[in-house]
Amino acid sequence: MPSQMETTCGSLLHELQIIWDEVGESDAERDRMLLELEQECMEVYRRKVDQANKCRAQLRQAIADAEAELAAICSAMGERPVHIRQSDQSTGSLKAELRAILPEIEEMRKRKSDRKNQFIEVLEEIQRIKNEIYWSGGYVSNNIAVDETDLSLRKLDELHRELQALQKEKSERLKQVLEHLNYLYSCCSVLGLDFKQTVCGIHPSLGESDGSKSISNDTIEQLGIAIQKLREVKVQRMQQLQDLATSLLELWNLMDTPIEEQQTFQKVTCNIAASEEEITEPGMLSADFINYVKAEVSRLEELKASKMKELVLKKKAELEDICRKTHLIPESDSAIDLAVDAVESGAVDASFVLEQIELQISRVKEEALSRKEILEKVEKWMTACQEESWLEEYNRDDNRYNAGRGAHLTLKRAEKARALVNKLPAMVDTLTSKTTTWEKEKGVDFTYDGVRLLSMLEDYLVLRQEKELERKRQRDQKKLQEQLLTEQEALYGSKPSPMKNQSAKKGRRLSCGGGPNNRRLSLGGPMLQTPKADMPPLAKATPNTRNAKKTERINQDCLRDDGFAALSSGRRGLDLAGLPINQHSLNLQNAREIESPIIRKPFSPISSTDSSKSSATNILEALNRKHNDMLPKAITSDSTPFSTPSKTMADVENRTPQAMAIPVPSTPSTVSIPMQMAITPAPAQMSITPAPIQKALLPAHTALKSVDEEIEYSFEEKRAGFVLPRSHPINVMQV
Amino acid sequence: MTAPPPPPSTGRELSSPPTDGISNLRFSNHSDHLLVSSWDKSVRLYDASANALRGEFMHGGPVLDCCFHDDSSGFSACADHTVRRLVFNYNREDVLGRHDAPVRCVEYSYGTGQVITGSWDKTLKCWDPRGASGQERSLVGTYSQPERVYSLSLVGNRLVVATAGRHVNVYDLRNMSQPEQRRESSLKYQTRCVRCYPNGTGYALSSVEGRVAMEFFDLSEAGQSKKYAFKCHRKSEAGRDIVYPVNAIAFHPIYGTFATGGCDGYVNVWDGNNKKRLYQYTKYPTSIAALSFSRDGRLLAVASSYTYEEGDKDHEPDAIFVRSVNEVEVKPKPKALPNPAT
Repeated sequence: MPSQMETTCGSLLHELQIIWDEVGESDAERDRMLLELEQECMEVYRRKVDQANKCRAQLRQAIADAEAELAAICSAMGERPVHIRQSDQSTGSLKAELRAILPEIEEMRKRKSDRKNQFIEVLEEIQRIKNEIYWSGGYVSNNIAVDETDLSLRKLDELHRELQALQKEKSERLKQVLEHLNYLYSCCSVLGLDFKQTVCGIHPSLGESDGSKSISNDTIEQLGIAIQKLREVKVQRMQQLQDLATSLLELWNLMDTPIEEQQTFQKVTCNIAASEEEITEPGMLSADFINYVKAEVSRLEELKASKMKELVLKKKAELEDICRKTHLIPESDSAIDLAVDAVESGAVDASFVLEQIELQISRVKEEALSRKEILEKVEKWMTACQEESWLEEYNRDDNRYNAGRGAHLTLKRAEKARALVNKLPAMVDTLTSKTTTWEKEKGVDFTYDGVRLLSMLEDYLVLRQEKELERKRQRDQKKLQEQLLTEQEALYGSKPSPMKNQSAKKGRRLSCGGGPNNRRLSLGGPMLQTPKADMPPLAKATPNTRNAKKTERINQDCLRDDGFAALSSGRRGLDLAGLPINQHSLNLQNAREIESPIIRKPFSPISSTDSSKSSATNILEALNRKHNDMLPKAITSDSTPFSTPSKTMADVENRTPQAMAIPVPSTPSTVSIPMQMAITPAPAQMSITPAPIQKALLPAHTALKSVDEEIEYSFEEKRAGFVLPRSHPINVMQV
Repeated sequence: MTAPPPPPSTGRELSSPPTDGISNLRFSNHSDHLLVSSWDKSVRLYDASANALRGEFMHGGPVLDCCFHDDSSGFSACADHTVRRLVFNYNREDVLGRHDAPVRCVEYSYGTGQVITGSWDKTLKCWDPRGASGQERSLVGTYSQPERVYSLSLVGNRLVVATAGRHVNVYDLRNMSQPEQRRESSLKYQTRCVRCYPNGTGYALSSVEGRVAMEFFDLSEAGQSKKYAFKCHRKSEAGRDIVYPVNAIAFHPIYGTFATGGCDGYVNVWDGNNKKRLYQYTKYPTSIAALSFSRDGRLLAVASSYTYEEGDKDHEPDAIFVRSVNEVEVKPKPKALPNPAT
């Protein structure tokens, strides 16, 4: 080729020389042209050499790059590089070298990407499990960054181990959750709660029977809390149920409840000592069931309360019976009544009251035992007294010897009675001495129906003495009369019947009869007690030697008179409560008031402030005007309580209105008021019957209460719920 | 008895009565208008002759009393402690002032132009209704009482104040600094109502225990000798006396006789001078809470309304009856038996 080119170049030169020759170019020109040619050729050569040089450098660079990459991959994968180039043992040209290295790189790249995929897989798995454990809701990040610089097998192994650990934890957690759920389920069924609802409240996934369950920290924690809560509820309910069971058993025991009735609650009572884990029956601790048991317990308790009440009342009756039999006054009668009331209202435990009453009964029984001997003697004495009074009556009967039916029996009785009466003084003596010893021994008074026996005996002796005296007086009188009679007889020859004196005798006796009773009244104090017709345990007890019946009647009469006085003051209390107390018209007042209960006019004047006239004239005036025949009797029969006591009572009445309630009911119902009708146009409505006013029916019952004790309120204030800010006693203003 | 047979009816019942207990009612001094206060927190104005409701005011609490100012305005005493002036034409109400507790009663004195109120805060207050609204300007004076004020009555310049604890204070309106007389009720039980005689010589006072005392202002012996008390509003049943509170007393403006109303549902008319009962009207359905004669005495308004004497219980509906009064029912009859005492 060069030769060919040289030929072409030589031929071209030859052609140029021919041209030049023909043109006639100078030699200088020819030389310049040839130099130019030579320079241009040089230029072309240089360019080509540069190009080749550059290409070679590129090649070298590529090889170096490839080698570097290879080295990097190898180091990342933790492998020794397969290809180590021995620069001095270069096998061939650069191009061959490059060709040799490229496939190796390819291979290494592929392996790297495989390894990377493995990493990603493992990391993803780890992330997923971590998410499940630490995050309660779904994936948070899906971006897994793989560290490209370390893809070694060692690292991979590490990751695998981590993954395994996580997987283990996950399964453990799952197990735990399932355990929790199981426990929850049993709890819920025992407590009668809805399991699904409870569980769904913690995490919705837990309620589903299949499918994955949430195992996050949060869920487990909440499950724990829920379990704790349910356990607390369970324990609490269990205790409640066991308490109930205990009371059930107690009540059954106490009241001998039949087995059939118990059977229904057997499963409650059999759990009485169970521990928390042992109670597994579904619904055993549900609120409904507990309420059901509770209702049963309260039913039984009510039953018990009523039975206790019955028992208390029975015991109370027993106590009263014993007291009655032994003529004892139950000491704290009102206290027991109060206690019974308290039991009924539920304020006090019945058993306590029962105990008290029991105690009292035993005490009374003991006392009764010690009284027995004396009581027997008292009975004997009483019957003797009865016989005595009978005998008295009998002796007064002038027809006693008339032979009628049964006369012989009476005669016999009289005979016996006389014998008995003769023994009476001795009887009284022994009784007195016995009683005195008893009293000394015991240090208390021997009472008979509330009256001291010794005073009764004393009364009896006094009476007997009086009677004796009277008898003597009568005998003397009789003697005198007989003397007179004989004188008369001597004069006129006739003898009047001794019957004449009968009425006088009676009168005296009657007036005497009231004596002991009045004493008793002044002792007893409260007048209100006395007007009761059924009062006389006293009348019975006082061994009057007189006709018992008559004495009683007289007593009542006397009492009624007393009642009048008391009543009149009470009435005045009603009418004049507020009138100034310092007025001097009390006597006048009395006079008016004595008439007022009997003939109370609707518009009768109350009083004037100081008409301090003498009472006597007023009374008389009043008496004359109102010609009521009861009035003189009221005044004459009992003059002492009339003047003084009523005055004091009036004072008392005026001060404490409460005491007022007492005399009012005692108003004798027999007295009627004809006068009112004459004065008032419509008698039916206007008549003010002095029948006992039922104060309980008075609507304004609160107003009756003492101002000093309680603040009174008007209806309006009560309705408006108005209460005084501070309660302080209201002092009734005294003018 | 010469009394004619009682009219069959209890009088004409007003339509649209208050819906709760009636605390008081009063006729106007100028017309037949009737002012009614009630526990339903209202004050109502009726035209009694036309049987029409003319106005209604609602308050913040039960209204315990009301009275007329002139024909076009009035005053109310309310349980919300407030005293109000009510102007009927404009349906307007001004607060006159306040007490420290529910205001129990209110009276207007034509003589002094003052409103007098009594309250459960144990004071009496006088107000000038012409003063601009605002307690500082309308309040004339406060006068402490021994107890909660239950009833007030005015005649001329005399003011009688009845309180709890059975106190009675008599004032002269021209000198309110001191009571002219301090008295204690002659009756033993809580005072329900006090009303002055139209002739100005004394007052009648009723208690919860079916009794009315007739008292006189004159403190001389002769004056005081005239006073007396009598029982009324009682019922005898099966031998027991049932005693009813006497809630209301109303004097006839012309004859000076008076009517009493009790919780037994009866209205009785009495002649105090001759100590006689003149008339008893047929029984009303429930307790008589208030009574008022019209200015000429031809009409008698009767509030038949349970007064809570037995606490909260079922009771007949509250009603207002307006009856025309026959002269024979209220005119004194001195010709009957002369009283031996006087």
